[in-house]
Amino acid sequence: MSNMKQREPPEVPRKVEMDKISNLPGHIIDKILSHLSLRDAVRTSILSSKWRYKWVTLPYLVFDNQSVLVSTQDQTLVKNKLVSIVDHVLLLHTSPIYKFKLSHRDLQGVSDIDRWILFLSRGSVKEFILEIWKGHRYKLPSSIYSCQYLIHLELFNCLLKPPFTFNGFKSLKSLDLQHITMDQSAFEYMISSCPLLERLTLMNFDGFTLLNIHAPNLLFFDVGGVFEDVSFQGTFHLAVVSIGLYVNTGSERNLAFGSTGNLIKFFACLPHIQRLEVQSFFLKYLAAGTIPGKLPTPCVDLSFLSIRINFNDMEENLAALCLLRSSPNLQELEMLARAEEQAIARIVANVLESFQNFSFNQLRLVKIVGISGVRQEMSFINFILANSPVLEKMSVKPASVDGGWELMKELLRFRRASMYAEIVYLDP
Amino acid sequence: MTEADSEIIKPEMLKVYVWLQTSDGSIQQVEQEVAMYCPFICHEIHSGMGSSKNYPISLPSRVNPAMLSLILDYCRFHQVPGRSNKERKSFDEKFVRMDTKRLCELTSAADSLQLKPLVDLTSRALARVIEGKSPEEIREIFHLPDDLTEEEKLEPIKNTMDDPRIRLLNRLYARKRKELKERERLKNVETEEEHADDRSVDDLLSFINGGNEDSKGSRTSKNKKKNRKRKDHDKTAPLNCISTSSSNSSSNNAVNMNKKESNEPAVYGKLPPDLRNATKMLDIENDRFDPEDEFDDCDLDDDIDPALKEKIDREVEDFARRLNSDWPERMQEILSLGQDRRPLQLTINGNGSLRRFTSLDQRQK
Repeated sequence: MSNMKQREPPEVPRKVEMDKISNLPGHIIDKILSHLSLRDAVRTSILSSKWRYKWVTLPYLVFDNQSVLVSTQDQTLVKNKLVSIVDHVLLLHTSPIYKFKLSHRDLQGVSDIDRWILFLSRGSVKEFILEIWKGHRYKLPSSIYSCQYLIHLELFNCLLKPPFTFNGFKSLKSLDLQHITMDQSAFEYMISSCPLLERLTLMNFDGFTLLNIHAPNLLFFDVGGVFEDVSFQGTFHLAVVSIGLYVNTGSERNLAFGSTGNLIKFFACLPHIQRLEVQSFFLKYLAAGTIPGKLPTPCVDLSFLSIRINFNDMEENLAALCLLRSSPNLQELEMLARAEEQAIARIVANVLESFQNFSFNQLRLVKIVGISGVRQEMSFINFILANSPVLEKMSVKPASVDGGWELMKELLRFRRASMYAEIVYLDP
Repeated sequence: MTEADSEIIKPEMLKVYVWLQTSDGSIQQVEQEVAMYCPFICHEIHSGMGSSKNYPISLPSRVNPAMLSLILDYCRFHQVPGRSNKERKSFDEKFVRMDTKRLCELTSAADSLQLKPLVDLTSRALARVIEGKSPEEIREIFHLPDDLTEEEKLEPIKNTMDDPRIRLLNRLYARKRKELKERERLKNVETEEEHADDRSVDDLLSFINGGNEDSKGSRTSKNKKKNRKRKDHDKTAPLNCISTSSSNSSSNNAVNMNKKESNEPAVYGKLPPDLRNATKMLDIENDRFDPEDEFDDCDLDDDIDPALKEKIDREVEDFARRLNSDWPERMQEILSLGQDRRPLQLTINGNGSLRRFTSLDQRQK
């Protein structure tokens, strides 16, 4: 009650005095509101008559856990509440929606989303992000495929089934698909009919096993999942690749794909690669088939290479060495041991001997992680140290403390081609 | 200041100056390299302006001398190449430490000079001021006039409840209530008594937001609302289709409904959840015009003929059962808002009717 008395009297003179913020130009108000959570932005509608409809021109609509607080635990309640909030906001919103993001931890793939997508498809939405954190794959309605203005599309836990009339996303530059299902032909068609595509992220997909990437403008490709083969077509600008094969298919199986060997095939369309991460079992894939001593065309732009490797696997070692030899301008190297299968030590020492006259002329930083100090690993380290004249730092982090002392003693003895090289032993 | 130092070091003759005129007519000389940082001024310079005092660049009206000097400080710092991101960040952070009025003026001035990084900086700062605050607090800070009526404030959130099923149920209820009112009118019972509603806009906003609003803000609006309510209750009542004659029993109803919501099991124990929720939902749906009247609408007073009441209940119950299974929960959610305030109302209105309601409850057994 006393609250009110304090508040009321000075209000009139003040009002006359200044209300600076309300008179700022609309695009600035939008800017201010876009820094707020959607919740706070919508709440401004009850501030004053001037603020009544200021939020309705917000170009970014983000419905996530921060912007939509739902206090209850009950699934149905949460769902209903979220649905009514999104409906509400979309109904009141007036100007073009530039970005629409729906990513609420408690929202399943309900059919209400169809309606929102249909609504958005009639406008000119440029960024669409849908993350379904719970439940089954959400089947996207066909209306999503008619969003011709999309620049960025990000889907999580969705099922994609483009209609026959789908013409691709002509403006799409960035596509991020994770935990998605779509069939082989639909996938290939979608990638190849996004002519401007620059960034492609694919994680945990099913329905297709061949990654045929036909994207002439692709710069960035990040993939992780279970697949049988990967091939690039016309991706001559591709600069950053991170690729992980999540299942150990064994080299034998991959032999089926081309007698030229996967290594040569893989790099044929990557002339300008700058950063490469070979993750999980992908080196195994690369090692299938013929492993040349060197790639036909060296990766002259490659400056960063990260390889997950089983040091005890002869083919993988050879493939890694092939990569290293074909990367004359490598500056940073990361080797992560796949410790889980290192139990069986095979004799592979002769692999390195044939490369004695090789030198890493640009290599400055090396990171070795997860080793256990077995002979093959140590000889690889020795090989790098002995052939890197400008090396500045090599950090070694073993998999476990056991044998750490022995490992250190051995590391100390290695000759270093670089007088500036520093070896950093990191505790596991 | 480091900027001043660098000025001294530099040979004076190499410095190029530019003349700027602010909206108040005053003209000042500024280092060109600093002023050039503003795209607007840069553009003017390229079109040959500002080289002499006679041909000053006239700045947009939103740039007054005070703002210009602030903006030039900003430019002077940022136009120096080679500053680290950390340095720039910490400068920016300190730079926007000013009262909100100046911050708004600065945003506007920077915008008119097309100085985008500064606009970004100040709008972020303004957003931080607004963030997480109650409407009352924001109004206070920015001196916004509180010129919306309570019902206007509620309007934008009305459609969250605009569910055809609810409307149907609502119509059913309205008809029944009308019947009850007719009977009541004949009875001519208790004298009118004002009841207070503790629900604020914030409560209703929590439909959208799902969060619990801070209690301070809500209280202010509550007080105001009560005041207004006293004034124009007569005006609002007839507009509400149901409450035309409800004022007689409004106070008791209010208490009864409150009681229902706070101590649900005691009152509603034997009603199926469907009905419980349906009734609750109704309270909100009905106050088309004025939220205060919501409790006037539901007549469950013990003056009502219990037989008729039971009949209505049964009908509504049937109807409610036919509705989709998901919506009772939904209603419950919507209605659970502000439950924590219900007990308060009980103390305001006294316990008399509470007891009465309990007796109704027993009678129904």
